[in-house]
Amino acid sequence: MDKRDTFRHNVLTSGHRACSGCGEAMAARMVTDLIGPDAIYINATGCLQVFTTHNQQSAWQAPWIHSVFANAAAVASGVEAALRAKGKDTPVVVQAGDGGTFDIGLQCLSGMIERGHDVLFVCYDNEAYMNTGVQRSSSTPHAVRTTTSPPGRLSQGKHHLKKDVISIIAAHHMPYAATATIAYFPDLKAKVEKAMRIQGPRFLQILSPCPLGWAHDSALSVTVSRLAVETGLFPLVELEHGELIGVMRLAEQKPVEEYLRPQGRFKHLFGTKTGAVELRHLQALADARIRRYGLLDADTQWDTARAMQSARHGRGGYASSMPASEEVKNDA
Amino acid sequence: MMPKLDIEPGSSNAYHTGDWRTRQPVYRNKWPPCSQTCPASEDIQAWLALATERQWQAAWRKLTERNPFPATMGRICYHACESACNRKHLDSAVNIHAMERYLGDMAILRGWDHKSSRGTPQAQRVAIVGAGPAGLSCAFQLARRGYPVTIFDAQAAPGGTLNSAIPDYRLPKSVLAKEIDAILALGIELRLNSRVGKEISEDDLRDEFDAVFLAIGTQQPRPYQYDNRPNGDKSSHSVMSGLEFLHRLNRGEPMPLPKHIAVVGGGNTAIDVARCIRRLGAEVTVICAQDSHGNHHRELGTEMPASLQEVIEAETEGVQLIYRAGVRRLVRSGEHLSGIEIAHVDQVYDRHGNFNPVLFDGTEEFVPAGLAIFAIGQEADWQGLERLSQATESDGVWLGGDAVGKSKLAATAVGSGYQAAMSIMARLKGEPFVFDAHKKAQITFRQMPLHYYPKQPRHEGEISEQRLDGFKEVVKGLADDDAAREAKRCLSCGVCFRCDNCWHFCPDAAVIKTTAGYEIDYDYCKGCGICAQECPCGHIDMDLDPASARTYSAQVLDP
Repeated sequence: MDKRDTFRHNVLTSGHRACSGCGEAMAARMVTDLIGPDAIYINATGCLQVFTTHNQQSAWQAPWIHSVFANAAAVASGVEAALRAKGKDTPVVVQAGDGGTFDIGLQCLSGMIERGHDVLFVCYDNEAYMNTGVQRSSSTPHAVRTTTSPPGRLSQGKHHLKKDVISIIAAHHMPYAATATIAYFPDLKAKVEKAMRIQGPRFLQILSPCPLGWAHDSALSVTVSRLAVETGLFPLVELEHGELIGVMRLAEQKPVEEYLRPQGRFKHLFGTKTGAVELRHLQALADARIRRYGLLDADTQWDTARAMQSARHGRGGYASSMPASEEVKNDA
Repeated sequence: MMPKLDIEPGSSNAYHTGDWRTRQPVYRNKWPPCSQTCPASEDIQAWLALATERQWQAAWRKLTERNPFPATMGRICYHACESACNRKHLDSAVNIHAMERYLGDMAILRGWDHKSSRGTPQAQRVAIVGAGPAGLSCAFQLARRGYPVTIFDAQAAPGGTLNSAIPDYRLPKSVLAKEIDAILALGIELRLNSRVGKEISEDDLRDEFDAVFLAIGTQQPRPYQYDNRPNGDKSSHSVMSGLEFLHRLNRGEPMPLPKHIAVVGGGNTAIDVARCIRRLGAEVTVICAQDSHGNHHRELGTEMPASLQEVIEAETEGVQLIYRAGVRRLVRSGEHLSGIEIAHVDQVYDRHGNFNPVLFDGTEEFVPAGLAIFAIGQEADWQGLERLSQATESDGVWLGGDAVGKSKLAATAVGSGYQAAMSIMARLKGEPFVFDAHKKAQITFRQMPLHYYPKQPRHEGEISEQRLDGFKEVVKGLADDDAAREAKRCLSCGVCFRCDNCWHFCPDAAVIKTTAGYEIDYDYCKGCGICAQECPCGHIDMDLDPASARTYSAQVLDP
């Protein structure tokens, strides 16, 4: 066991083979540390499964099962039913990428929610099949370059739109569904902790930038995910039983170009006439999402400026069972 | 019972991803811009950090390591630190001078002393000439390291210019006296009314002491010319020097004043004099050869030397200012002064950089005044110190304070006293002297993602309503709660304040949090650079990894 850090379990420990600057590794480490090692983790096939279990070496310091691509939610249903039969209440958590959620795993996920299993399903959304070499998925946004949606004379990247999976999931009238991203740790923490307090099927979609597939500098993973929220392209929302109950308000709306510029997957849009049309389209998509969720005028103090604020002695630690850090509440 | 697997999985910890790295993050403290510009080289970031924890006494001790006058300097210093503060790019600069004053006032109120910081007693004796900020600062540094120190001063009270020429509305005498008392309580001998060359000879000083520090300040007004008379350094009822005016005022001498007074000069002394005159109930016009602030002539050096803040205060109090004007002649009726004839100043300085204004004919104007006060600078009075002033450090004589050097700020004098003390100690111990002051700032706001800091308004001390009613202090100190909040506004540029960002954001769990801070586990760090990118205060640098640098140079150099 890795016990280097007395302030954190490191459920996902060091030595995993994720690329430098991997947003998914960061997100998974945050989520699993918030839940802790006393849980059963079911992992669909994907980057996370591949880079954490390599050459007979596991980066997981908690019970962990690898399912096939399609059936992670079904495996979790079975695990949860077995635990229930044995009278145990160990949390069951599914981790999957956008391929295992939006595309291949959607059917099993829908069934799991419909049957009301007490499982948290976490989707690390990096917007393409990164593990196999950046192929488009139904989560890939419009106009993105992937190896299967190459831009050229006849195409400006992916033709279709990103699937609105959070609405599909919320339409099951399930207890809790939310979106989060790595840039806003206090927000992510609040959502994971809330999800763990709720009984029944729960769903988290976490935007996790991929320096390889998105073609940005490995140091910019957090910056890019922050810009995805600040431009309105990735709204941070919470839904309970299908109803929108909270959003993170945008303190200031940034133009989508700020988000697109650092990413090589949007590079083809700059400097051409057809690209300019797609840029306007992406801006219109962001504007539409802002209107739909009321991101600029929501009646909440929880906005993108407040959720960023750093504080002396920590922005909040991990699981409550950990030794208390010298946490001093920011009284400002 | 589960059958045992043929292959037992091991931990990924066995696989060290650190060798993927080409760049490596390094935690590195950086010297912030406030400290770079502070003439006394205070570690402002460090004492503000202690203040955020409400460790007031520790903060005061950290501050007084470099400056034993926080209550005084917090009031009178023109705070260059705040002009350099990175926070002004987020909202407005941290109110550093108010925090300094708050700590100084608290030390006076609670009677904190410097005694706990005394060093082992030393044998060599040091004499200091001049009990102003430079001399006292030097004495303080030496005494707390155990050296017996004797200060000689020609005046009847210590404090130098701080005592004799700073008006009460800016610095109450009691505040200065308490801070000086705390310094002298270290066992420093103070001999007042002892002018070197008169009460004590230069030779006695050299014989009795192992080192001498001359910090005699500038106590003599620069001679002023008018009416084509060579020198008017004798004050009369119609002409006076600014320094003379302030000395007499601070001594409490009654001065019958005419209704209109003209002050000549553009420095802080001129403004002090003018604000005092307003408090005595007369009308005052300041005649300044330079331009007003912000008039785009900074590169030519023609902006008035007085602090902008002081000028604003003076204007609020009803002081009239005339810029780019010089004195042509004093207009008299008999011995009585009726006013000053001024003219437009074309060039302020000659080509050697000396103050030598050129007045244009035909632009004359008349300013009515029954008294003209010349505040055009002051000089050191070396009388009686002729031989000592020529001696060098190798002779055991050091020079410092206003008497040498260009900047005449009190904080510069404090810094100069510190530097002299360090140099004296190094020589007495026979060690090489290395001075660390005026380190370059290594961090600008561009290296800091400022969006991590919440915007917060600056807290100010209350301003007295009846400001012209006597010489009571104009600006009050910060309220207790405001002080704690104001300290928290410090961005902690370049110095870790343990926000946990690097720890939260490391995808490889290669940042280890400890009770002392953070460590990077280079066995696993892949060098992505996220920690450095997201560090709010720019504490983390990305260096070329030594191992990969070796590989790289081997490939390039040995094809």
